[in-house]
Amino acid sequence: MTQGTITGGWSFVVAAYSVTTAVFLIYGISLIWRLRYEQRRSQ
Amino acid sequence: MNRAFPLGIALLAVAVYCGLIVTAGEQYLHADLSLGIPSGVRTLIAFLAGLAAVSIFLGGDDLSDSSKPKILLGIGVAFILAGSYFGLFVAPPEQFMGETQRIMYVHVPTAWSALLAMTIAFVCAVVFLFRTDFKWDARMEGSIETGVVFAFLLCCQGAIWAKPTWGVWWDWDPRLTTTAVLLFAFLGILALRKFVDDPVKRGIWSAVATIIAFVDVPIVYFSVKWWNSLHQQQSSPDTVSKPFWIPLRANAFGILLLMTAFIMLRARISALRLEHELAPPPLETVGEPA
Repeated sequence: MTQGTITGGWSFVVAAYSVTTAVFLIYGISLIWRLRYEQRRSQ
Repeated sequence: MNRAFPLGIALLAVAVYCGLIVTAGEQYLHADLSLGIPSGVRTLIAFLAGLAAVSIFLGGDDLSDSSKPKILLGIGVAFILAGSYFGLFVAPPEQFMGETQRIMYVHVPTAWSALLAMTIAFVCAVVFLFRTDFKWDARMEGSIETGVVFAFLLCCQGAIWAKPTWGVWWDWDPRLTTTAVLLFAFLGILALRKFVDDPVKRGIWSAVATIIAFVDVPIVYFSVKWWNSLHQQQSSPDTVSKPFWIPLRANAFGILLLMTAFIMLRARISALRLEHELAPPPLETVGEPA
């Protein structure tokens, strides 16, 4: 049975939250951009 | 149908009250807001009401008005900001995983939403095959793409968590392998849709492929139970300490709403593209015959 606590780790936490924010932001913006493009095209 | 959105919001409010507000009241205000409902029943109500809200948002969506997904997007972002604040600055570090455990507050809700998006794609595929209504094809494409984005994000978050915990970025453990298979299977369906020009064939073929690919969803979920592997088993409210509930549940609601809004927006894009595809070609100016 392994014991102990993982020390440090904040850099990994920051990396995970940054990747999450970036993916949601980029995908959300791409959706709004693509929707506006399709709406313009259909007019 | 016009009442669908307010009904979804009301169900969401019930889910948030049972899943989040009562727990926040207990922990930070020391107030009993449970209305006498036991904890397990509250969790079940929150789960079912949340699922019903998502079903109503997606099923009652007429694909014409873009304001509704933007409202859900706004509410979702507010939940994620609150959940991330509690997850990063208020919740204590975990006994063994230390600070690294804070990744769970985004990783676990992303996993739930990724599997749910693919389940929604499966439901849309079945309904499309029975009704041949292209509204369901648009919803299917929306859920597949959103599911792929969430599954990709899930793998990235998992790799970042695995490095300090397991010592490696990736391991061919059953949970990780089945998730990678799921990601590439649904990515393949998106590729298939790009290669087929006929909308009817595209809809039917991708619906059938979605139903086949969905077989992997329960395998992903149960993989940690079926094979005693490196990835830990699912937690339940009984096995998660109460200080971790608020950030986990707030982010779960936030990411769920983001997923719903993304599917709704993406379905509108698909519907508009199809409308453009099926529109008659513009009349060309023809000169007078000689």
